[in-house]
Amino acid sequence: MNDSTPGVAPADVDLGRVWLGVAVQVWRRRSSRLERVAERLLGSAGLARALVTTPSLLLPWLIASAGVFAAGALATRLGAGEPLVALVAPALAGAGIAYAYGPGIDPAWELACSMAVSDRMVLLVRALGVLAVDAVLGVAASAVSGAAVGVTFGWLVPMVAVSALALAVATVARSANVGVAAGLAAWCITVLAGQAATGTVAVAVTDGSLFVFYVACAVICAVVVLCATRIPRERPTPWTSRGAS
Amino acid sequence: MSIETAVAHGYPEPRPLPSATNIDAGGLTRRFGRTEAVAGVDLCAGPGVLGLLGPNGAGKTSLLRMLATVIPPSSGRLQLLERDPRIHAERREIRRRLGYLPQNLGYYPGFTVIEFVEYFALLKEMAPARVPAAVAAAVERVDLGGKARARLRTLSGGMLRRVGIAQAIVNDPQLLLLDEPTAGLDPEQRIAFRALLRELGESATVLVSTHLVEDVGAACGRVALMESGRIVFHGTPAELVARGDQGAGDAPLERGYSAVLAGARA
Repeated sequence: MNDSTPGVAPADVDLGRVWLGVAVQVWRRRSSRLERVAERLLGSAGLARALVTTPSLLLPWLIASAGVFAAGALATRLGAGEPLVALVAPALAGAGIAYAYGPGIDPAWELACSMAVSDRMVLLVRALGVLAVDAVLGVAASAVSGAAVGVTFGWLVPMVAVSALALAVATVARSANVGVAAGLAAWCITVLAGQAATGTVAVAVTDGSLFVFYVACAVICAVVVLCATRIPRERPTPWTSRGAS
Repeated sequence: MSIETAVAHGYPEPRPLPSATNIDAGGLTRRFGRTEAVAGVDLCAGPGVLGLLGPNGAGKTSLLRMLATVIPPSSGRLQLLERDPRIHAERREIRRRLGYLPQNLGYYPGFTVIEFVEYFALLKEMAPARVPAAVAAAVERVDLGGKARARLRTLSGGMLRRVGIAQAIVNDPQLLLLDEPTAGLDPEQRIAFRALLRELGESATVLVSTHLVEDVGAACGRVALMESGRIVFHGTPAELVARGDQGAGDAPLERGYSAVLAGARA
């Protein structure tokens, strides 16, 4: 039988602890299905959360990317058959990756750098996420554009190269804007140089001999990113004493 | 002023520190180009609250960023939580047990208070099952329960600072590094925060960088004073007060602070 007075807590009840138990239930956040899938795939709740909060994977950015691809597909279909989707995809992915992570882009970047989930892993997961999303959008747009069927996958390798370049420059310069500028400039130069040499604007995504150059560029840029995000661990290193005991 | 007199003014005597040395730095330096922000710091600290005082540009933030493993030292020896931060696996273990509040903490404006604290709890690799209770406890400890589901863009500067403190303490850290934690807090919040600091310092090493000497007097068992990248004083608040005979300032601790600084500059 309950003999306590209504409205008065028994003396041995810790109301703070009771409230905390209630608060845990009331404030509990339901993670999205996408986040749960990412957590299962990546094996880390922190990485999954970092992935779904990627600035360039948020809805406004996705809508803008889809819009650019749709415009490219439409222009290709209605225009002279130039594979505009293939030419736009690398530039878009490069910008998306440069804006995925880093100082100036991630507001809490410095704090994130002190976390157990390494910032390099966050960078990698977000970069792959952006690449995957842009690849899917690009394939869909290429399929819709019809005239560009021959180069449907021709832009994937240049896209990786431009993305890697934008990421490397953004990482070294510690500025996403500089990374985007470098990626876009390099891609524009490649396209325009190809056109000047052959008279065909699409040569940058159709000439197989260029793909060796793209792969080399991507590998070099990946090495640069790895070096730029490395914390020295061998001795003697900056962490080691110079004369201190 | 003697140490006995300083203690009588209300500045606490240091308690003997437990044996764990959570910060062990020797000859630590950090250069940015030609500027030497930290110029050979020796610092050992176990559990307790250590205040880090110094003028602007003294190197406090650079020192804290090194201790938070955000930037590596240019030279010197550093052990945190009896682990070597140069080694990836050990650095990861340090970071799991670390709480850090940067001077300029950015916020995701679309996140709620709970989402923000939870995000960093997950990045600290807390067990996901433990996270909701830890987040709720941290948010309550900084007295933000009433704003738990508010978007960060709607909060005041003082509230955002408390959100930053909540994320720093969510993993019950063994090493807590706070850079200007009381900036933007009103007097009532600062009093509550000092009590929280004392509580946290019973089990963890808490290093608080601040310009506010009254925070140091009220919450810190020890104090280090930095000038031009070096620690020019390390002792108790009472010992700092005792150095203040020739110093300028309204409060005893301020006089000690300015006297030590003047001596270091001379």
